Amino acid sequence: MYIELHARSAFSFLEGACTPEDLVRAFASHGMPSMALLDRDGLYGAPRFYLAAKKLELTAHIGAEVTATAGGRYCLLVASRQGYQNLCRLITRLKLRAKKGEGAIEMDELREAKEGLICLTGGDEGLLAHALRTGGTEQAAKCLRELCAIFDRENVYVEVQRHFSLEEERRNQAAIALARSLQLSLLATNGVCYASPDQREILDVFSCLRHHRVLANAGRLLSYNSERYLKSPAQMSALFADLPETIANTVELASRLKFTLKDLGYQFPVYPTPDKESQIEFLRARAWEGMVHRYGTGNERAVQQIDRELAVIEKLDLAGYFLIVWDMVRFCRENNILVQGRGSAANSAVCYSLGITAVDPVSMELLFERFLSEQRGEWPDIDLDLPSGDQRERAIQYVYQRYGKLGAAMTANVITYRGRSAAREIGKALSFDPETLNRLASLVGAWEYIDSKDTLTRQFQDAGLDLEQHRIQKFFELCQKVQDLPRHLGQHSGGMVVCQGQLDSIVPLEPATMPGRVVVQWDKEDCADMGIVKIDLLGLGMMAVLEDSLRLIREHHREEIDLGRLPANDPAVYSALQRADTIGLFQVESRAQMSCLPRLRPKCFYDIVVQVAIIRPGPIVGKMVHPYLNRRLGREAVESLHPSLESTLERTLGVPLFQEQLLRIAMIAAGFSGGEAEELRRAFGFKRSEARMKEVEIKLRRGMESNGIIGETQDKIVRSITSFALYGFPESHAASFALIAYASAFLKCHYLAAFTAAMLNNQPMGFYQPATLIKDAQRHGLRFKPIDVASSDWDCLLEEAPDGFRVRIGLRYVRGLRMEVALQICDQRSVRPFDSIEDLKQRVPEIRKDEFRVLAAVGALNFISGKKGFHRRHALWQVERSSRWSGPLLAGHSLTENQSGESSPLDCMNPEERLNADFRGTSLTIGLHPMAYQRRVLQRQGISPAIQLSSFSDGKFVRVAGAVIARQRPGTAKGFVFLSLEDETGVANIIITPQLFDERHTTVVHHSFLIISGVLQNQDGVVSVKARTVEPLLTASAEMQSHDFH
Amino acid sequence: MAFAAIFVPNFRLQAVVRCEPELAVRPIALIDGLPPTYQVVAVNHLAARLGVAEGMTKAAATQFPGVEIRPRGKPQETTAHAVLLDVAWSFSPRVEDTAPDTVLIDVDGLASLFGSHENIAANMVSKCAEMGLTVQVAIAANVETANVVARALPGATVIPEGQEAKFLESLPVHMLSLSEELCEVFERWGVKTCKALASLPVISLSECVGQEGVRVHAIASGNGVRSLVIAKPAHCFEEFFELEDAVEDLEPLSFLLGRLLDQLCARLAARSLAVRAIHLHFTLQPSFESAFDSCSEAIRKKELSSDYVCTLELPVPCRDAKLLLKLVRLRLQSTPPHAPVQKIHMLAEPSFPRVTQGGLFVPEVPDPEKLELTIARIAHVVGEGNVGSPQLLDSHRPDSFRMHRFSVASAQPIDGDEKTETKIGFRAFRPPVLTKVNLRGGRPINVAFLGRSGEVVHASGPWRTSGDWWEEDPWQQDAWDVEVNFPYETPPSQGFYRICFDSRQKKWFVLGAYD
Repeated sequence: MYIELHARSAFSFLEGACTPEDLVRAFASHGMPSMALLDRDGLYGAPRFYLAAKKLELTAHIGAEVTATAGGRYCLLVASRQGYQNLCRLITRLKLRAKKGEGAIEMDELREAKEGLICLTGGDEGLLAHALRTGGTEQAAKCLRELCAIFDRENVYVEVQRHFSLEEERRNQAAIALARSLQLSLLATNGVCYASPDQREILDVFSCLRHHRVLANAGRLLSYNSERYLKSPAQMSALFADLPETIANTVELASRLKFTLKDLGYQFPVYPTPDKESQIEFLRARAWEGMVHRYGTGNERAVQQIDRELAVIEKLDLAGYFLIVWDMVRFCRENNILVQGRGSAANSAVCYSLGITAVDPVSMELLFERFLSEQRGEWPDIDLDLPSGDQRERAIQYVYQRYGKLGAAMTANVITYRGRSAAREIGKALSFDPETLNRLASLVGAWEYIDSKDTLTRQFQDAGLDLEQHRIQKFFELCQKVQDLPRHLGQHSGGMVVCQGQLDSIVPLEPATMPGRVVVQWDKEDCADMGIVKIDLLGLGMMAVLEDSLRLIREHHREEIDLGRLPANDPAVYSALQRADTIGLFQVESRAQMSCLPRLRPKCFYDIVVQVAIIRPGPIVGKMVHPYLNRRLGREAVESLHPSLESTLERTLGVPLFQEQLLRIAMIAAGFSGGEAEELRRAFGFKRSEARMKEVEIKLRRGMESNGIIGETQDKIVRSITSFALYGFPESHAASFALIAYASAFLKCHYLAAFTAAMLNNQPMGFYQPATLIKDAQRHGLRFKPIDVASSDWDCLLEEAPDGFRVRIGLRYVRGLRMEVALQICDQRSVRPFDSIEDLKQRVPEIRKDEFRVLAAVGALNFISGKKGFHRRHALWQVERSSRWSGPLLAGHSLTENQSGESSPLDCMNPEERLNADFRGTSLTIGLHPMAYQRRVLQRQGISPAIQLSSFSDGKFVRVAGAVIARQRPGTAKGFVFLSLEDETGVANIIITPQLFDERHTTVVHHSFLIISGVLQNQDGVVSVKARTVEPLLTASAEMQSHDFH
Repeated sequence: MAFAAIFVPNFRLQAVVRCEPELAVRPIALIDGLPPTYQVVAVNHLAARLGVAEGMTKAAATQFPGVEIRPRGKPQETTAHAVLLDVAWSFSPRVEDTAPDTVLIDVDGLASLFGSHENIAANMVSKCAEMGLTVQVAIAANVETANVVARALPGATVIPEGQEAKFLESLPVHMLSLSEELCEVFERWGVKTCKALASLPVISLSECVGQEGVRVHAIASGNGVRSLVIAKPAHCFEEFFELEDAVEDLEPLSFLLGRLLDQLCARLAARSLAVRAIHLHFTLQPSFESAFDSCSEAIRKKELSSDYVCTLELPVPCRDAKLLLKLVRLRLQSTPPHAPVQKIHMLAEPSFPRVTQGGLFVPEVPDPEKLELTIARIAHVVGEGNVGSPQLLDSHRPDSFRMHRFSVASAQPIDGDEKTETKIGFRAFRPPVLTKVNLRGGRPINVAFLGRSGEVVHASGPWRTSGDWWEEDPWQQDAWDVEVNFPYETPPSQGFYRICFDSRQKKWFVLGAYD
């Protein structure tokens, strides 16, 4: 018997060419009971290696190749938990103190961490080979003696590898002689870098990427043969027939490696309660306190629910976890950081009472079991939405501060080779010219849907590429082989892990690109698999808007709004939603959402939950939208997919819309266990999911067949479930989002000025440009004040006027104006108002000429002197004059008013010039809409304003014109293009057929203003124009921007 | 004083159309840039009428049916520019090379040669038309006015002295060759025409935009005065020769080449320069394809290029026309053109001549010129790629090398202290010798090659190498080092060899013998 104890996976990043799972499959097929994975400077692949082996009831030994400062690598195998912790700390130390890819370990550091580790001398890159290369036998003997002094003789193995290389054999002979003279054990390994010989090609491509070469000029950087695959015990025994003890020693050594990742020893931190109170008692007290705040005192259902939840939490010993999340939420509250939990936590009344979530699960009848169940045996999932930007960073830094730099870290995001990026890198290695590379890369997207080689050959031929050509064929093979291999480690957007002891003894940590952050070597799935608790701290632009709105309302309206206690069923909110008057609202402002709202006509909060969830690629591709709407409007009978699923789908009129429903269907119809359903849930949102989804589909069909569900019903159910792989929402998640949508609608309806200012201060976000948000707000009666260096701050402000609040546009909208200059303007102004442009120039000397010019062009300097009739062109003239260097003689002497001449020989701008200057300098205007200037002419041409369209009947031929504010060509719409055309009265929705788009592609894509003629469609209050002709409107020239998705 | 300006509108397009006049009647757009971001840089009026505009991407331009899309022709532009200069120099030696599409000429005192200013302007337009360029000409008392008006007005315009401002007043300010910054300033100010600019107070203007403002103000007012920057002719060492009847034999061709080389060398000698390299470009006579349309030979012939190009790089600069002719002849003998030569274009790269002084204690090296001739003669016999010094390739493939151009390294005194180390010598058999090998347990036990048969006493291996898997012909070898006894020879002998099994060919070879 032989056991492979030195193998690298692709998690050695460009030094291995297969996944850990490939290695497990290979060693299982060779009948080996165990194997060791030693990736370079990391344990990145360890969880996947361990889990894959565990599935097959095999043993996964863990280790790593750790770079030595003296050159070469220490090849370390973990024998015990102590050894594992030492290795993790060693790698963490190496990673945290050096630049990416440059860390190394001193021999002294090894001495401190030797416990529980076994050292191999390594292959080509190992310590012994390095010593032999640099100092011959003497140096090698010295190196071995040093290793023995650190690890003790019985923990050092002299490794011999045989890849049919003369050079290597020469080294082996030297190593054998040294081992014999020092009485060390010899160990045969194959220095595995891939599972099967054909993967050598990938390793060669990786070598090229590592050394920035192409295959043609990589020379001896490439492998000399394909022998580094996982060989069978018989092959290895034959290779080492002259050294049988080297083979026997592998078994002996493997038996000494007692550690597996099962004994990780992870502990969630204990929350420090005051007065030696137990965690559950403390939690119970906080939950009841919160309950009174949330539900009042007489809500019996809530009491029962919380009692039940607390019992489960106590049973599962999760009180600490809830308290830690509560602590984090409390920090946010105390520091005025808006926070809201989402995910399955929204199913919990305890979370609601603790203030973690804002959705009331009792009144919404959300099931607690979806959040926490005794059977599932894994940590519950709590995601926290925070305002994007600095506030979120503050929350993250609090976690670091609370649990120590080595006690908390972000989870990693393993970026894999996929699609076009993989194709480009491989193409480069194969020396394809840029043009061929482009053509090949453009074909990549199509591959996923093709299984027959004939079709593929034809596609290649169409692109002018011959698949029969050897190199193209190789390219194609490699692209497929390289898919899903790890490429590099990124940082997950918000997932954090924390640990009771030192996190660096559980998993190695690395510095993230962002300063002040560390990241673990495992991605969030791996962390979950290893039972490490993850808390997601996600940044959401709308949270920042809500937070800013609340602050403005507090400051100006003197009102305190609690988002958790907004008036339910506010008529203004539902009226706006039913009219699809939703520009700027969270999740319901897109064109697709707007065309669905008048049909769905939300009347209660749950309708908003459905609305948020229904316009997603999952339900759309699964063809669930129309049946739901038809059933809601009473045009179709409510029927369940299968009688057994009635209760599951009752709330959504027999149409599955939420992830939980899909899981429940899998459990009822296909007999999935809780664990299998959990696996299905993972496959939904999992990047490496294609293969997994296929597996799941087979299982589903098998399960349904045994339950007698066959034929069309089976297909329908499978389609419903698999289409969710394209993303659909869980119900609790949709509820959390719906709450934010409701809050945003409430603020827009009742505090329009504050909400609009907050929206403008948090751009870019959402679906519309600031120009559109402003026009929409103006149509709702809000008035704006122009940018003015005498009044504007960096952010947009509220200014009180007798007829209500007005929004003063902030200096942030002046294109090219640096924030530090704007702040300095504000500082200087607060000391004393500016009396002239020259004065501004003197007191804010950092201001650059280009910044000065834009300020003048947008009218921000018009009021600086307080004189009437001072116009933008006067300012522009003055700016040029004051920006010129006056020379040493006059330096420090500002021009007097007379000298500077407040007037200029220039004419003032006409309205059109002002409009253009506004768009050029700020991308928006608070004046008339560009289309308003054209209206008289347009009216003569029979062009209707957008507001009139809803009064026309279905089928009428109409002409509309406006600025394109959004262009969309969704993948789910079969090539149709949707335009949103804005004029001074509102937004018209245009549908362009694929044929018309092909004909008028340039006009549609490149022109900012269009005239559309077509047939009006007015169905269920949804108004759109199906275009027959598209013409550019050339008389309008403002530089308006569109939000394009094509 | 009087100055003329010749301006070629839509220069890039005209440069291309000048070479292919038939394009003038078709909608055409020129593209430029790096793939995939090609952009339209010029369109003719037919394409513009269809909607194609400058700045469009290539993809957008291809949407317009019937529009011919061509790459921008930089060589054509260079030639067109040279033509423009030639026309200018044919009028006066005082010429300013202002831009690729513009030249300015001092026409003062040309009346006795060409007549009135009107005649001169008309002459210029017609001469350019003969050369295939449609131009706009303006003559004015000051150079700036001529330059601006030539860009603005079609045909030939003569501006009477004192009337400059009147001609300029309606022209947009951007025609004044403003800097981008000033252009933006005027746009912000709403100053759109020369008249508007001329009406601004010049002192205030200079306070605002500095001396450039004063300059453009003067131009806009019709007072732009400056002197010409006189262009000097470029030094380009090239010779063309077009034959009336194509030449196939080397002898008459050598005669022509010799004459051209003599001329080139004489020109170079006058400038104290020498030849570093010679580029020969023959345009070959097209074959009579119609006669062989159906046969495969004709197809093969169609694939052959109609050009013959070769470059003769010299190890040291030289201007010995006879030596150059010998080298050219040797090259033509070893790789002759495949069809009769119609046109000859010879371009000499100039360089400073070699100046050397031999060291007293430096070993003598061969005369580089003679050495070059000798190498050229050897190459003529053994083939171009088979002469030079072997250079090892960076590859795991055993015995992979290429021939590198031979050159004499700069002589170094011999170092007497060089350490010598005993190494095993290996004599490579090139090509490797085919052999028969018998195996037992995967190891060679006897070999037979070159009529000898031997028993393998010791074998060490296999040493496995493989590579070039991405190429059409990947390789894989298992090599063995073997000690072989030849007991049947008298007297019995032994030897140490490296043998290998080529997995692609499924054959055994002896790669060489150890000394």
